[in-house]
Amino acid sequence: MIKILYILKKEFLLIIRDIHAITVLFIMPAVFIMIMSLAMRDLFELHGAVSIDVLAVNQDAGKKSEAFLKAMDALRTFRFHLIEKEAAADKVADKIKEQMLARDYKFALIIKENFSAFVEKNGKGKDEKPLELLVNPAVNVQTQLVLKSALDGKLAKLTWDAFIDRMGSLLPLAGIDREKMTAAEESLVEVHYVYKEGRYSKIPSAVQQSVPAWLVFSMFFIVIPISNTFISEREQGTLMRLKSMNVSRFCLIMGKMAPYLLINAIQVIIMIAMGVYIVPLCGGTALTLGDSMGGLILIAASVSFSAISMALLIASAARTTEQATTVGGVLNLIFGALGGIMVPKFVMPGFMQDLANMSPMSWGLEGFLDIFLRNGNVSDVLPKSLYLFIFGVVMLTLTVILLRRRGEI
Amino acid sequence: MIEINHLYKSYDKPVLKDVSLSVRRGSILGLLGPNGAGKTTLISILTGVIRKESGCITVDGLDLDRELKAIQLKCSYVPQALAFYRLLTAFENLEYFGALWGLKGKKLKERMEFCIDIGSMQRFAKKRVDKFSGGMKRRLNLAIGLLNDPEILYLDEPTVGVDTQSRNYILETIRKINRERKTTIIYTSHYMDEIEQVSDDIAIIDEGKIILHGDKQAILTRDDAVNNFGHRTLEKLFLKLTDVRLRDEG
Repeated sequence: MIKILYILKKEFLLIIRDIHAITVLFIMPAVFIMIMSLAMRDLFELHGAVSIDVLAVNQDAGKKSEAFLKAMDALRTFRFHLIEKEAAADKVADKIKEQMLARDYKFALIIKENFSAFVEKNGKGKDEKPLELLVNPAVNVQTQLVLKSALDGKLAKLTWDAFIDRMGSLLPLAGIDREKMTAAEESLVEVHYVYKEGRYSKIPSAVQQSVPAWLVFSMFFIVIPISNTFISEREQGTLMRLKSMNVSRFCLIMGKMAPYLLINAIQVIIMIAMGVYIVPLCGGTALTLGDSMGGLILIAASVSFSAISMALLIASAARTTEQATTVGGVLNLIFGALGGIMVPKFVMPGFMQDLANMSPMSWGLEGFLDIFLRNGNVSDVLPKSLYLFIFGVVMLTLTVILLRRRGEI
Repeated sequence: MIEINHLYKSYDKPVLKDVSLSVRRGSILGLLGPNGAGKTTLISILTGVIRKESGCITVDGLDLDRELKAIQLKCSYVPQALAFYRLLTAFENLEYFGALWGLKGKKLKERMEFCIDIGSMQRFAKKRVDKFSGGMKRRLNLAIGLLNDPEILYLDEPTVGVDTQSRNYILETIRKINRERKTTIIYTSHYMDEIEQVSDDIAIIDEGKIILHGDKQAILTRDDAVNNFGHRTLEKLFLKLTDVRLRDEG
């Protein structure tokens, strides 16, 4: 036990004094998480409770336009930035266009003077269109449709409620429950996102995709420090010295595994903390962790075990550090690209999703997503953990066979 | 103390061919040989790093095949390479290897102090090894080998690439360890003068065979050890026995 503690201490000191290892294990994933969480925010967050910024001017003096904006805000998909209304209605379009270009808004909404009259079907302009939407031509059609549908929907609801108000006294006579007719509408459509793994009610936000993805990726990059240490030990005769000291095979292998399991655990804590605390400070959404600490520990430990085992095999098979870092780096990039790290798996075509299932990074990523996104627990991540564990055992067995054949342990 | 009988080892081709050798308790055996003669292979087998093919080795009456662990506890191996961690300090290296020898607490501290002292590393023990000079690294390499207070010390070219002062210090240290602690030392080197300086016995190995083994004085008084200037030198004898042709490995 004391030997393992000194081995742990040695490996830690080697890592914290190795700027390349620190960069690869901690700085690279932290930077990726930050960049990808922010850069991909709008793309991912169309699926979630995220705001699309809309510049707006309210020309209507009535109360219905305020109710309309409140209802739109409640959707939490749009964030309206109101500007002062112009006295002269004909100048509104020019001013909002000017502000839209100056402040780089993709959308601007003009709520016209006749809005309340239109909703109540009473007064000047009650039959004219009450909303005008200005759109930056660079915005894709799908996003335009999202906003336009929401505006149409809320306007229709408001108009319907106003109609019910007008018919108020007649409804009881017809046996219609007025409360039910005006109850806050809730979508009757239940949405599920379906891909090869199954069906889910949520799609990850940018931070929910980025944190586990780059965390898994960086955990597999443990191959760099492991190779550096292991191959240096071999080249510099340290392995030979250890063998002459009758250090057991178990101690040699555990001496490699245990410190890096701990380093992977520190990576998990730091990257999750990045997602929860740092990304929101920079304008992204906060990572949600789910409820299963046991599941999180299980999937993190499984990813770590398989990553370290693979790294040990690469370090054992390679003759030089350059060979190991090249092979390890390329393999990680392939596993990452294939496994949904760089491109989320749910946007891949079917055959690519099948291919993705061959990557251990995909098993790890899906496990983390089960916990963070789908409120999964230990039993949900157990199959992925099992794949990772079997993968790790195979890698470790091959490592031991190789090292024994070469007489290095 | 160490008895080697009919030792064979081969990789792609035979490396050790019927090597028999005995090493007296408390003596220093200088093991000489050209590149690729089998010196490092022989030491690697004696330290349990690699396995022999056939032959018998006993250390203090213990059989190497059956009681390797017990033998390894008595021995220490200082490889030719600088076998430690460059990103650690000398102190941290000694602590790590000492712990792997099973030392702990006061005993570990005492042995570390002894090794720091014997390696004359007091001033730079807490400095990172990658900042050390060649001589300081060699002294640390040797000091690590003394952590377990070995009865038998295997030194594989311990003075390669060091300046004269450090070399002299290392040779003095080796003699001191042998004298004060009665440590049996097997010492390989390409430097004839070193072997002459420190050894009690000399063995010359070439192409996997021991071609000369005996007491240093007896060897140096042989007629064929006289050079062109009338001086008795080991180098003259070595070249005569091993031939002057180059021994490029490959």
